[in-house]
Amino acid sequence: MSEAPALPQGAAQAVPRRLSGRLARFEPVTLLWIALIAILLFLVAFPLGKLLVVSFETRGTGAFTLMNYVSAYGRSRYVDALVNSLILGLVSATMAVVMAVPMAWAVSRTDMPFKGLTWAVVLGAFILPPYLSAVGWILLAGPNSGFLNLAWRWVTGAEGALVNIYSFSGMALVIALNSFPLVFIFVKSALDLVSSEMEDAANILGAGTWTAMRKVSLPLVWPAIVAGFIIVFLEAIALFGTPAIIGIPARINVVTTQLWQFFEYPVRVEVAAAYAMPLLLITAGMIVVQKLMLARKGYVSQTGKGGERRPIKLGPWRWLAFGWCAMVGLMAVIAPLFVLLQASFAKAWGRGLAWDNLTFANYYLLIFEHEMAMTSIWNTIWFSATAATIAVLLALMIAYIVNRRLVPFGEALGFLAMAPFVIPGIVMAIGFYAAYASPPFALYGTATLIILAFAARFLPIAYANSTSAIRAVHPEMEEAARILGSGRLHAIRMVTAPLVKKALLGGWLIVFIVASRELSAAIFLVGPRTRTMSVLLYDLSEAGNFEVLAAFGGLLLLVTMVFVGIGMKLVGRDFMLRRN
Amino acid sequence: MSGFTKRQILTLTTGVAIGGASFRAAAQDMPAHERQLYEAARREGEITWYSGQYNAETSEAVGRAFNERYPGVRCNVVRSTSQVAFQRLSQDNRANAAQCDVFSSTNSGHFTQLKREGKLMQYRPVNADGMLPAIRNMDADNFFHTSFLGLFLMTHNTRLVPEAEAPQSWTDALDGKWKDKLAVGHPGFSGAIGVWAVQMRKMYGWDYFTRLERNNPQIGRSSQDPVTTLNAGERSVGLCVPVGTTALAISRGNPLKLIYPREGVLAAISPSAIPSNAPHPNAAKLFMEFQAGKGLSETVRRTFNEPLRPDVPPPEGGRPLADVTLLTPTLEEQEKGVPEVREAWRDTFGV
Repeated sequence: MSEAPALPQGAAQAVPRRLSGRLARFEPVTLLWIALIAILLFLVAFPLGKLLVVSFETRGTGAFTLMNYVSAYGRSRYVDALVNSLILGLVSATMAVVMAVPMAWAVSRTDMPFKGLTWAVVLGAFILPPYLSAVGWILLAGPNSGFLNLAWRWVTGAEGALVNIYSFSGMALVIALNSFPLVFIFVKSALDLVSSEMEDAANILGAGTWTAMRKVSLPLVWPAIVAGFIIVFLEAIALFGTPAIIGIPARINVVTTQLWQFFEYPVRVEVAAAYAMPLLLITAGMIVVQKLMLARKGYVSQTGKGGERRPIKLGPWRWLAFGWCAMVGLMAVIAPLFVLLQASFAKAWGRGLAWDNLTFANYYLLIFEHEMAMTSIWNTIWFSATAATIAVLLALMIAYIVNRRLVPFGEALGFLAMAPFVIPGIVMAIGFYAAYASPPFALYGTATLIILAFAARFLPIAYANSTSAIRAVHPEMEEAARILGSGRLHAIRMVTAPLVKKALLGGWLIVFIVASRELSAAIFLVGPRTRTMSVLLYDLSEAGNFEVLAAFGGLLLLVTMVFVGIGMKLVGRDFMLRRN
Repeated sequence: MSGFTKRQILTLTTGVAIGGASFRAAAQDMPAHERQLYEAARREGEITWYSGQYNAETSEAVGRAFNERYPGVRCNVVRSTSQVAFQRLSQDNRANAAQCDVFSSTNSGHFTQLKREGKLMQYRPVNADGMLPAIRNMDADNFFHTSFLGLFLMTHNTRLVPEAEAPQSWTDALDGKWKDKLAVGHPGFSGAIGVWAVQMRKMYGWDYFTRLERNNPQIGRSSQDPVTTLNAGERSVGLCVPVGTTALAISRGNPLKLIYPREGVLAAISPSAIPSNAPHPNAAKLFMEFQAGKGLSETVRRTFNEPLRPDVPPPEGGRPLADVTLLTPTLEEQEKGVPEVREAWRDTFGV
């Protein structure tokens, strides 16, 4: 079965022999490769290139200028915002590592009790959108009215506050509590691969559990810790909701809120683009540093299928480990969720739990009276689902082509697919706005633009997921099918696809979840009828009505949980881990 | 789980069905000019309203009231603070993608600017004849018309600050004893706060804000944010808060009380306008008629906002307008001043 007959009969006869011989070996996959490059250029390269070009253009005329950079960095307030963002990223990432690494170690390596609960907490923190947990923490730790501080004063009789959420450390804490699952997932899956023999060797040489962990297990997963740290750093500097909700009252300006200011009248996309450039350099720089840090050492710990993995017996210490997990869980999920739920059923949240304060009016308003609430829920579901599907399909094809080395320069494709990883969501959105909002594309405010932005933004997640899935399928299975006469695409469809199905579903779910809570990439792109739940939540947060806001957050969580529930049924409880 | 999705679909579909059924009945009791516009608007099907004046709850109620009166013309309510609404409008224009049919902002300077740039459509609502004479003819050329009459003043949490000790004037709030006790919105987001800052600067110079900064007010975004902050007891005195939202909070049992400052209250008499590139011009005109007519005034008074017409009674419990000193910067002062105070604010307060 040759693939060539795609060409019309008459035309095929007309071409010289040599060319037709070449066409006979032509695989449709080559066309696919060209199409993929085009799509990647459209999704990733063009918006970024446009951003770079725009940063050198004069508003209105388009003439070359360097003035945008002068405007963007000519005021100390703007530079301060950049410095604040960097410090915020470093502090949050450090906090997240401190929270997550002991948890990952305890779950992966020890006999700590209630591991299922820890899992639930990690999943919960992953699902909870950052701006919701920010609101939750305002209710918990407002210096005068937060429940935590009220309790603190009541118990100790102190005057001051225990925690002030409206502070730099408060903001960093909230971000860390929201992003530690990323570190957890990375470190846990790396630890799962370290065999107990390594620790045994250390034990035999006289090291205790603590020393073995410190000197053997943790250094082996150092790359995973660094990767987690960088991801949280990137998350933290790209966040928009949390700085707007906590940062403004705390009087801390960061990059994202500053970028927002450049969109005030007159809209200065050019200055915003110039302002975003150093951010791109810094994130790219971090990746380079990571490569250098890890380059000269070996971290291979898995050798074939050998290697036994036994949980370490912690004795009474296992309760300390559990206590740590429980404390993080309480702070990250249970406490903020509890106060949000309380507020969502309250007439006035400040009055606390009381029968005469109980109402369903907030939910009623959103479900039956609010003009946009239900539409935005539907928007969120189908935007995220479509974006996840596009991202996973695209990633699968790229991963396949790159891993099977079907084309020259496949690595370049892989690089493009991973590039959005280092681009803060808000910068991506500005790139999309600059590239596709105006005619000739005229996609501003359309569902298409938002879906494409989501797909591009989360392509790296899908790509990492697909790569590991494809790597797990040995090429010889496909080769068997091809020997039996199957074409490449047919072999993929009948052999490879069924084998990677579960892993891909897991990847799809992760992209769906992160897309459904995405705010910064959406906020510059939505139109009146294409607002997502996250954007509407942000609008609600401006209205100063925390009760309705909390109720809407409740609905958002309900929607996500439905999908997570379905996902767990289909893929298994640990779908988040399947990427490795 | 599947029940949720079904119910959601049900909610959506019934909504559409009701809209289709009752439009004929609605057209019957309309004056001729409205019926004519309604016919044309129905062909356009929807109107998108960038609403920066009334709070979220009231805006949604206005949208619903419009939908009820004119079935078949759906009102998309996009509520945000005024500066953000203006930002959205500018962003739309920059992208050459018109989305907005009616634009409402508490910063009247937005309208003089848009008018000068030729970005507004001329239209005089017939229903404007029935509005309060003082606010009827805001723009001689009929590019924009009053759609909001809001008072912004001070308020205090009665549990934390007894009435006798509460500040009585805008300058009282500068006293050191209010350190860490004040709350206020942000001129980068709220139009009213921008106008208020222009007024305060006019009366006391920028020094007012450098002194205010020393008292470390909690800065929100919307002018209504202090209401939430005060309800919770996080702060005890709010500056430049809207009467409407405060009165609504009081009616729900929150321990707040309004303060009418000695110097006078900030009166935001703010308009709405149709952008010249509005995608649904007839629906937009119909909405302007609705705002000038009894429909809007009757809806907004239920959430304690001032009606725009003498034939609609004022909200319960409010002080009659005649008894209050009103402070308002001119339109020119607003247009020129708000961008200035916004920058100065960011320099002074850091955000």
